[in-house]
Amino acid sequence: MSRLREIKRLRRAAPRSRFMHFSRYALVALVVAAWANPSRWPFQLLHGQRAENLRRFLDRELTPYPLRDGDWGAGDLFSWFADLFATRGARATLATLAISALAILLAAACAWTLAPFAARNLSTRRPVESLNSAPESRAWRLLRGGVFAIFIALRALPEYILAYLLIALLGPGTAWPAVLALAIHNTGILGRLSAESVENLEPGPLQALRYSGARRSDLIVAGVWPLSIGRWLTYFFYRFETCVRESTALGMLGIASLGYWISDAQANHYYDEVFFFVGLSGLIVVAADFASARARRSLRESD
Amino acid sequence: MNALRRPFPVGPRGRLLLVFAVVGAISFSVLGLSLSGLLPATGAAGQFGDFFGAALHPAVDYQADWVPVGAPPFLQTVVRAMLETLLLAAAAMSLALWMAIPLALWTSESLWARQVRGANGRESRHAAGRVILPVLRVFIAGMRSVHELLWAVVLLAAFGDHEFLAVLAIAIPFSGTLAKVFSEMLDEAPTDSTSALAEAGLSPILCFVFGRLPRALPDMTAYSFYRFECAVRSSAVMGFFGFPTIGYYLKLSYENLHYREVWTWLYALIALVLVFEAWSARLRSRWIAR
Repeated sequence: MSRLREIKRLRRAAPRSRFMHFSRYALVALVVAAWANPSRWPFQLLHGQRAENLRRFLDRELTPYPLRDGDWGAGDLFSWFADLFATRGARATLATLAISALAILLAAACAWTLAPFAARNLSTRRPVESLNSAPESRAWRLLRGGVFAIFIALRALPEYILAYLLIALLGPGTAWPAVLALAIHNTGILGRLSAESVENLEPGPLQALRYSGARRSDLIVAGVWPLSIGRWLTYFFYRFETCVRESTALGMLGIASLGYWISDAQANHYYDEVFFFVGLSGLIVVAADFASARARRSLRESD
Repeated sequence: MNALRRPFPVGPRGRLLLVFAVVGAISFSVLGLSLSGLLPATGAAGQFGDFFGAALHPAVDYQADWVPVGAPPFLQTVVRAMLETLLLAAAAMSLALWMAIPLALWTSESLWARQVRGANGRESRHAAGRVILPVLRVFIAGMRSVHELLWAVVLLAAFGDHEFLAVLAIAIPFSGTLAKVFSEMLDEAPTDSTSALAEAGLSPILCFVFGRLPRALPDMTAYSFYRFECAVRSSAVMGFFGFPTIGYYLKLSYENLHYREVWTWLYALIALVLVFEAWSARLRSRWIAR
């Protein structure tokens, strides 16, 4: 009994943070407020007309077209798949992959160039020298803060909204809006992660370079890039995988990725085709996921 | 010596750069891009200027000449939409977590691992785990590999308009991602407390619950917060499908060429994301530091 009391006493005496306390209440309040709105409750989802709609959707609209009228063979189904894939699927899959590859390459080029300027150990008056007493110059602090703020700002807007805005400005019929939208968002993410990894580099090799007379540019080219490229590539592949996923959806804005054919089929109420293309997009995301996991594992092992 | 024997003096890093350049060039030509495509569309040059000019003075009132009687003030609409965006994200995240936690427990290797007592002491997998694990992994991969907007297309086609569908469309891929990452965190958690409990004779399930789960919990909480931040962005985009979040109003203003209103919506979204990010970064630093 006294042990229980002791535990209670310890719990009361434990240091408390007002911030954590506030955060806990804020989170609970958010979730309660979110579900307090009855129009968000799922209970009406399977009643009346909706149930009827769902039944029709599952029984008829989702069934691949050649299977709808009773007499069918597996051959018809296969040729339906093959036809959809040959006429639109293959081309759209290629475009989806090309958009994400180009976007992530652009993002990596920007991020890897800018990252050293956002790192605290390099973007100072005397880079990597362990002189804590050296006064920090204001210009360098401004540059560093500026680059970091750019990274944060670039990733604040979602890709879909960026692409939507860019389409009207650059005109329809080109894939640039999707490429640029993905590149902008990912420059922010890669830049921030890369800058943090530069800050966590072992100071030894860099200091050795510095004290044997390397300038800042030498430090970056001969020290920072070779030392951090392994870690940066891990981030690169991780973001590539999310780029593929995102670029399937960007097509719904009218850019020639898989999403384009999904919204096209949806507009015609060809839900069997919607289902086919959504499935195809899922498959290529799984494939990209697998490839990037393999690449990251081999990077980890070669470290 | 080695450099001389190579066909050409390019190391592994140089080779990687070459591969990247080739992939970039192929993508460029597959997409039929040209550098002139980066210039504003013909006839849109004026629009270009208007749009970026409006960035400096975002709207604080409706830009339309005619506003329906009884419409709330513009800024009130902005605050309302920000709140809706946040609430949709909160609903989606709470549902996603609720689905993800059991999935993560069932798909973590360590739940099914059984220590084989014997000479070699290898770990083997529980019989049920050998079936359940791969099946659930495929299921999770399916959930997260379809984008939330594509889930929204499918769900809206199946059920018709309903606000719960927006919640579900975000919650499905998010819970897939959470489940995958959670299960990896559980497997990679430090094993010291687990082995101590096992030495003391606790059953494997109890070892998992009291030894492994608490060690992974800080990482899991921190990651959930990061995903919450992503959910805020996704919930803003859900507005493009007619749900009353920021994206809905942004699209409306953009279609009416009310660029100053568009910038107000953009700034509102950026502010929402940044405030949330600052909050979650501070929370994460506390959990991870411990």
